[in-house]
Amino acid sequence: MSEARYRLGVDIGGTFTDATLVDEGTGQLWNAKVSSTPGDPSQGFLTVTQQILDRAALAPETLRYVVHATTVATNAIIEGKVAPTALITTEGFRDILEIARQIRPSLYDTQFEKPTPLVPRDRCFGVRERLDADGAVVTPLDETAIPHIASFIQEAGIESVAVCFLHSYLNAQHEQRAGEILRAHAPNIAISLSSEVAPEIREYFRASTTVINAALRPIVSRYLENIEARLRAQGIASELLVMQSSGGLMTFGDARSRPVFMVESGPAAGVITAAHLGESLGRRNVISFDMGGTTAKVGLVQDGTPRITKDYEVGSVAQPGSGGFRAGGYPIRTPVIDLVEIGAGGGSIAWIDPGGVLRVGPRSAGADPGPACYGQGGTEPTVTDANLVLGRLNPGYLLGGDLTLESALARAAIEEHIAKPLGLDVVKAAHSIVEIANVAMINALRLVSVQRGHDPREFALTAFGGAGPLHANRLAHEMNIPVTVIPTSPGTASALGLLVTDITYDYATTLIERVDRLEPRAVADVFTDLRQQGTAALAAAGVASDDMAFVQHVDLRYVGQSYELTLPYPDGEATGVDFGDLLHEFHGEHNRVYGHSVPGEPVETVNLRLTALGTIVKPPLLEKGAGNDALHGAERGTRRVYFGEADAFVDCPIFDRYGLGAGAVVPGPAIVEEYDSTTVIHPGYYATVDQYGTLLITRAANT
Amino acid sequence: MAGTAAFDPITFEVVRHALTEATEEMAVALRRSAYSTNIKTRADFSCAFFDRDLNVVAQAFCQAVHLGSLVHLVPIAVRAYGPENMGPGDAVLCNDPYLGGVHLNDISLISPVYCDGELFGYVANMAHHVDVGGGAPASVGAFREVYQEGIIIPPVKLVAEGEIVEDVFRLILGQIRSKRETAGDFRAQMAANATGARRLAELTEQTGIETVNTYIRELMTYAERRTRAEIAKLPQGEFTAEGYVDNDGYTDEPVRLEAKVRIDDDGVLFDLNGSDPQRRAPVNSTFAQTFSACAYNLKTLMDPDIPPNQGFYQMVRINAPEGTVVNCRPPAPVVGGWETHARLNEVIFKALAPVLPERVPAGGKAMQCHAGFGGIDPRNGEYYCFLETLAGGYGARFQSDGPDAVQTHGQNTENAPIEETERYYPVRILRYELVDDSDGPGKYRGGLGLRRDYVFLDHEVTFTVLADRDKAGPWGLFGGEPGRQAYYIHNHDGTMEVLSSKTTIDVQPGEMIRYETCGGGGHGPPWQRDPAKVLSDVRQGRVSLQRARRAYGVVIDPEHLQIDGTATATLRTTMQRQGSQDDYGEPGAAQ
Repeated sequence: MSEARYRLGVDIGGTFTDATLVDEGTGQLWNAKVSSTPGDPSQGFLTVTQQILDRAALAPETLRYVVHATTVATNAIIEGKVAPTALITTEGFRDILEIARQIRPSLYDTQFEKPTPLVPRDRCFGVRERLDADGAVVTPLDETAIPHIASFIQEAGIESVAVCFLHSYLNAQHEQRAGEILRAHAPNIAISLSSEVAPEIREYFRASTTVINAALRPIVSRYLENIEARLRAQGIASELLVMQSSGGLMTFGDARSRPVFMVESGPAAGVITAAHLGESLGRRNVISFDMGGTTAKVGLVQDGTPRITKDYEVGSVAQPGSGGFRAGGYPIRTPVIDLVEIGAGGGSIAWIDPGGVLRVGPRSAGADPGPACYGQGGTEPTVTDANLVLGRLNPGYLLGGDLTLESALARAAIEEHIAKPLGLDVVKAAHSIVEIANVAMINALRLVSVQRGHDPREFALTAFGGAGPLHANRLAHEMNIPVTVIPTSPGTASALGLLVTDITYDYATTLIERVDRLEPRAVADVFTDLRQQGTAALAAAGVASDDMAFVQHVDLRYVGQSYELTLPYPDGEATGVDFGDLLHEFHGEHNRVYGHSVPGEPVETVNLRLTALGTIVKPPLLEKGAGNDALHGAERGTRRVYFGEADAFVDCPIFDRYGLGAGAVVPGPAIVEEYDSTTVIHPGYYATVDQYGTLLITRAANT
Repeated sequence: MAGTAAFDPITFEVVRHALTEATEEMAVALRRSAYSTNIKTRADFSCAFFDRDLNVVAQAFCQAVHLGSLVHLVPIAVRAYGPENMGPGDAVLCNDPYLGGVHLNDISLISPVYCDGELFGYVANMAHHVDVGGGAPASVGAFREVYQEGIIIPPVKLVAEGEIVEDVFRLILGQIRSKRETAGDFRAQMAANATGARRLAELTEQTGIETVNTYIRELMTYAERRTRAEIAKLPQGEFTAEGYVDNDGYTDEPVRLEAKVRIDDDGVLFDLNGSDPQRRAPVNSTFAQTFSACAYNLKTLMDPDIPPNQGFYQMVRINAPEGTVVNCRPPAPVVGGWETHARLNEVIFKALAPVLPERVPAGGKAMQCHAGFGGIDPRNGEYYCFLETLAGGYGARFQSDGPDAVQTHGQNTENAPIEETERYYPVRILRYELVDDSDGPGKYRGGLGLRRDYVFLDHEVTFTVLADRDKAGPWGLFGGEPGRQAYYIHNHDGTMEVLSSKTTIDVQPGEMIRYETCGGGGHGPPWQRDPAKVLSDVRQGRVSLQRARRAYGVVIDPEHLQIDGTATATLRTTMQRQGSQDDYGEPGAAQ
């Protein structure tokens, strides 16, 4: 009983604080949900923890890990509530944040604004020093300037400082010296050096990343210290970890000094869930599809690994038709799980645009007033209303009957706002709403797969979130994805991701050199150095050396290009690495991604990357009791459900998910209902229940 | 037909999304595989899809200047080459300014898209190449004929059945200074079209070519319907303004532009009659550029959600007499046509300001502001060329200040990162910062310009300034005052020589070129500006104490940085009677 073998995940969102608890040994899971407490999030944290421990009848000391996902960092940036921060940079360049990329976030809007810099101009300082493009010192650091800045900073009540000098990614000497002097003169100020936070070429992106780190440090520190203190007071002595944007974990201590690595802590968990489920089911290529009330998030897992991007902006939305441009937010250059998020959720509102065409979203009815069918005063039709009118949702069984839906209100909203103006009948209008929402989601699926050179036929679609399973089968059909995976408890599946990932530290060093001139020894030295850093960090986080693992990558490009392709760099003795193989792989990857390659062109390395992993045991998925493969125990009669394939309502069998045993086969059309979600199985498809209770939807052989 | 039985709103969305996404994907492929900083980092390109009748259907923009120009060029180039001569896997190159093109640097690549042997349409992209030969590196400069500006490429096949036509490729590269980089950029353009063609072939396979064609027509009538509805909301009448490009690059004579914007039941007509005859100097705009300018202005007045396809473009009506600076004839040089284009944007905004005060900004940067240079790279002995364009102040708006240091109107190219520039080109950037006190004063002030200093340490370069605003700053509106003018400076032999805005010079090792771009114009009388905003600008160092007093009539105690309310009230009363006494300081005063 007192053995510390339980792992707790706590995900604090805007509305709810979710908790998931797992027994590492057996894989048994518990869930709990309480309202979030934005005034003091640690309150909700504590409440949900107490609740779940009670539910599982466990003492606080049985917890081995507590893993936390939070939006505290993102919210601080988006709401402009960051700590008072200063920036020190090279003389002549103090306006680096003001000028940013010199572009407008929207091409045709004459009333646009640039994002407000996180450090106001009067707190940006240029200091005399200069390195050249090879990292050699051209002008030594003016050390006498730093104490003046330090005293200004202290008088102005500034809590945190970012230092970013030109070319410091090649030579950290000046930044380190400036940091030392600052520390000596202003010992209580948090200092973030760009050469440590994001040592990569392109000064604005490095400065932006460093400034975000600096501006978050005091906020995140206070936040995590508060949680830690309260947990300790409750007798929880476990290791405390935070989900990073990359999907790996880091300790509370590291998160306090490198908070920029956790800005997208929350959304990462869902993709990790999908990767983990895929792994457990023997499917290493997975597209994750998480659809909730206001948005849908799509990510891609290839060969068991979530796709990571380093091209990320906090608080911005890419506009369609803009060639992938973003300029409305704050760029960061830390690894972030690559997600496409679109404004298509159950609450997305259907409307008719001025050209007379039906559109869905991105405006959402949210939780208040919510869809028309909630009967809370919403009158605009939503995707949920359309699903109800089509018979796909059970008016009496949402959240297990905790929420009843009023079909008449849904019909009235669709009739008035969509059907009548378009001259359609209500059912056709409802079907169009669902299908148009699907088009947007298909587009997102294409973005993460086809557009990045992945063939969807080689992937499984893992759908979760309250609304994901309602739409997933249809999306898989359109995308030619052969199998759709619906985990148990889809509504809370995303929090599972917190419990099944490793402690991770990402390192990178820039080494720009043509591959044909590359010294294997130089590469080996860099990786050795990175590995030492990783080992030290893992050891500090309490990871035993047997549980440490290291993954090496190299960024390559044709000499002259600016965007790199990241390829695995073989482990082991560096001298044994065959650069010919590496080049061959690069040309192949370039061809796969961009449709052409130029084998005669020189190729250069850009960054060497190392991920240090502290592997933690993944709890097994809990097997369902074998046996009940008959459907009769799960049957709940039939309902009239509309399917586009039939262009009509059909008598559709309804099943209770909890009654479906391993081995059960559910032919479509069918609806499977459970507490927090509803799965639609379309005609021509069937679902099988595997030993874990997962629904696997595939195409029937004869269609 | 959007309400009729034959119209399926679902298919409409499918086709609409798929077409836009195909062009978007082209843009990603182009950007990520390009070599020059101008394309890969600064995103100076755009992509589009045209149906088989050469109507533009979908576009991915990086640059709005390409908005109209690619649309104009593709039909002309395809018809000139003959659609029957373009088979699957072919791609045709063109930059001929007098066959629908713009300046020579903007080279378009056009590929037909076939579906089961049937022509479905065309994908095309336009990219700004840093060098296309001609009289100066980076192919910018003040010349007297288009033939001096670089290689003119009439429609020729660069790719035949998927293979590069090596003879043509070699011939083109033979004219160009930075060959390897340019070759990489051409390959990126080919990759973009191949990507687009592949994606569109998938769409037609899935949905059926006839269905897609039906909905393409539907998309265009939809855009037209929405454009008409938006135009109907605009005030009717004829609205006129004039403006000037500061000089033509050969003579010092300003170039006059005139725009009469006529809005009536038939739509919007941009009548440019009254603009100057074309010059034997680089400021001439081809019709494609002029079309692009007018289309941009109209687009800013529309709901941004309207898809930019033929249905929208056909509503842009223009009267631009041949042989003028807004519709030049051969052999007029055209490299600076974008300067005229940008000024035309502002003249049109100025014409509309009295009737749409809440929609249009005061004068802003409104020039391309090129910095182009090249020479022999001492590190490897190869000829290199570099080009970038610098931002400036945006004009103040009805209820907000003009943003600082940002691109304006049709131009939205990013800056070249200093670290990347210094690494790949033999130059050092000494300064990159805002120009304090460059704002045009107003109730809402114009944005600040920026300064960039280039030093060449170890070799001689040929440097071209191709810009404007060296005589007057951008105008204010409704009592707002002009922004500070731009300065282009050559520091050599201990002297500071102010250059013309359109000039090519040799720069010796150790010498410096400095740009100080203009500030944006103000909006509303400066003495109506909230003193707290002036104080904030002073605290942030954007506006000096002296200028707060002289330009805005706000008296601030220098020691405690607090507003002297009484003195301010008195000063503002006088100002209201006499006007402000603005001064912007000399270039480099903010050392």
